[in-house]
Amino acid sequence: MIADWSHEVVLAATILSWFIIGAGLAQTTIYLLQLVVAGYALSKRPPVARSALLWQRYGDVAPPIALLVPAYNEALNIVESVHSMLALEYPNFEVVVINDGSKDDTLLRLIEAFRLVKFHRPYEEALAHQPIRGLYSSPMTERLFVVDKENGGKADAQNAGINVCRAPLFCVIDGDSILEPDALMRAAQPFIDDPERTIAVGGTIRIANGSRIEAGRVREIHLPRRLLPLFQVVEYLRAFLMARLAWSSINTLMLVSGAFGMFRRAEVVAVGGFTKGSMGEDLDLVIKLHRHMRDNKRKYRIQFIPEPVCWTEAPETLSVLARQRSRWQRGALECFFRYRSMLFNPRYGRVGFLGFGHIFIVDVLGPVAEVLGYILIPAFWLLGILSAEYLLAFTALIFTYGVCVSVCSLILEEAELQRFPRARDLAVLTAAAVIENFGYRQLNNFWRVKGCWQFLRGNQGWGEMTRTGLGGAKK
Amino acid sequence: MWYIWDLSILLSALSLVIMLFLIARRVLQERRGRATADQRRQILTALIAFTENRDREALKTTVLGVPAGIAIDAGFEFIALLRGEERDDVLVAFNECGLPARIGRQLRKGNVAERIHAAEMLAALASDDASASLLAALAQDRSREVRIAAAIALCDLGSLPLLGTALDFIGVAGQRSRRLIELFRRFPRSRFNELAVHASRVDASPLIRAAAIDALARAGGFGFADFFAGLAGDAAPEVAAAALRALGLTGHAQALAILKRAMENDDWDVRAAAAESAGRLGLPELAAPLSTLMDDEVWTVRYAAANALRSFGQPGERLLREIASAEVSRSQRTASLILAEGPAL
Repeated sequence: MIADWSHEVVLAATILSWFIIGAGLAQTTIYLLQLVVAGYALSKRPPVARSALLWQRYGDVAPPIALLVPAYNEALNIVESVHSMLALEYPNFEVVVINDGSKDDTLLRLIEAFRLVKFHRPYEEALAHQPIRGLYSSPMTERLFVVDKENGGKADAQNAGINVCRAPLFCVIDGDSILEPDALMRAAQPFIDDPERTIAVGGTIRIANGSRIEAGRVREIHLPRRLLPLFQVVEYLRAFLMARLAWSSINTLMLVSGAFGMFRRAEVVAVGGFTKGSMGEDLDLVIKLHRHMRDNKRKYRIQFIPEPVCWTEAPETLSVLARQRSRWQRGALECFFRYRSMLFNPRYGRVGFLGFGHIFIVDVLGPVAEVLGYILIPAFWLLGILSAEYLLAFTALIFTYGVCVSVCSLILEEAELQRFPRARDLAVLTAAAVIENFGYRQLNNFWRVKGCWQFLRGNQGWGEMTRTGLGGAKK
Repeated sequence: MWYIWDLSILLSALSLVIMLFLIARRVLQERRGRATADQRRQILTALIAFTENRDREALKTTVLGVPAGIAIDAGFEFIALLRGEERDDVLVAFNECGLPARIGRQLRKGNVAERIHAAEMLAALASDDASASLLAALAQDRSREVRIAAAIALCDLGSLPLLGTALDFIGVAGQRSRRLIELFRRFPRSRFNELAVHASRVDASPLIRAAAIDALARAGGFGFADFFAGLAGDAAPEVAAAALRALGLTGHAQALAILKRAMENDDWDVRAAAAESAGRLGLPELAAPLSTLMDDEVWTVRYAAANALRSFGQPGERLLREIASAEVSRSQRTASLILAEGPAL
């Protein structure tokens, strides 16, 4: 009887271990494939032209762009951010700041800094959003508009901005982010080269913690001095340079980051804009765009280009980072289950198979399988249920392949882009790429599992994102 | 299962070795970078001095004293800031230093970004063999962006082959690019008929036909008004809209009838273009169809119609006020919004 029982336990443990190792193997295979595709795409990509040349070349044919900046309690940074946005190098753009019912002085600071006056501007009420309390323009510059509206969340604010803006293209950016001066010109390039098919373009988000920032510009690039943001630098490299570039090159890009993305207004309006109350409104929008274009059998491109860089502030404390990661996980799950009919649906081609398959393996199965593995595989081995082979296979998938993928992302960056200014930075990042697999990765997965649990319980809170301000001022 | 472990160790070790090699390479690059920056500074200093003393020999000595690549990069960034005689003198010095030959090589052998830049530089230098190199690039380059850049450069040099031939070289994919708008805008007046022929080709891409119409309207003037009038009824909405906007710039004896007809078109872009042109030409006779368009289902059309009425001056404003004070409707809302546009009182 005991023998039967132990046989069943061994069988169950083996099946469970196979599931965990299988999920890890699938995830690692996806990462390695992404590395190969991204490496190929980067090697085929033309090297970056200098900003001055871009202006001469594209200045006359660059389409108008509206820069939409949702701001909620951004009094600390907003004036400096808007100044830096107004100084962007692009021939034809307007900045639309949407004050989403901030409880602090965001609007007042803007009114004072730019001598804003109330202004009537006719606009299309194409998308629903919370009521607008007033529109403001500045006698100091024709490029700036401020929308003051009742609080409705980031997606709601972006929808209000889409309604008010008049340009055929709009670019969403977070109020506390900093764009490189030529970022718009670079992001607009696919819309110039292939205006009929390009409907969205995403650029790279980089972490500004530690860099020297003056007057809303990153003057000197430095690595973060603290460990937590340093790990996030490696993480962002993996996410942008490896994953997004790879998916973009096969037109399966599922995410254009809400911190910096450019979209064709008409298509976004056609899909109903950003989904209100969504935890992952950026992912949600891109999925809707894919679905809309494929349902209507239209040719389209959603592209990622590594050059247009947007700088953002990464969380420096565990509690803030934990909230951010749990929220991202909830966003991914919410979108996956909302559009689950697209998964492996032949009607959606590679978006259904590769794009949704990736979300399924990496975001739905991945964190749960990995956290289960941390607990069960060593326990099974210690109890003598599993052989050392299983333990080593799991260890390889979590640690050694993790090191390989992180370091390879860094290799891609250095071989093709070389954006870190000093050799010493590369050495520090290489060390971070190794160390992050021992502790940080596990913590991250724990937060993601927590996000899954919150999703199952229907927790919709965003949590407070405490910022110190990129300029260094304390909130 | 062992192979998972073995392979992971192998791949991780390999990635770390490659990374260490790249770090070492970067250390060397940093050292070389300082020398390059010095040479760049030398060139820029020499160019600034040249704009003051016009000492061509001194400039040539400096240009020949640094690697050609650095001279080309720094030099052309600088001359983008110059105009007129000063610019011409620098270009002569560059030509005398043999830079066109080096740029020609870059056009053949550089990466895509370098080849595009080389095409632009050859157009600026206008050396004897520039056209031949650019024609070869237009005909043979693998990248459509380079072929378009070569076509634009050839246009600047006055050596562009027949438009149809050039577009064939650029290829179908390249004909989707907005860069062709720039090519058309640089077209010499003496060759406008080629643009007109292309704009009439029903087999051509509507985007490019529209771009050709736009270029003709900007530079061709009234001479093409009949041509635009003919295209205003084109089956491709982009082409019809572009022709209507062109008519708004040039005017036409039959504009009234053409615009009125276009305001009933099924495509919203065509209706909006007709409304815009009615406003630009100031045709109050079209007030009635414009008021109808203010109830259009598409906001862009309503907005264009209301703006057109507003541009008619007092009669238009009066009509807008009447609509604004009528029963609640789409046109009533549009009229109210347009009348309220501007600083709040």
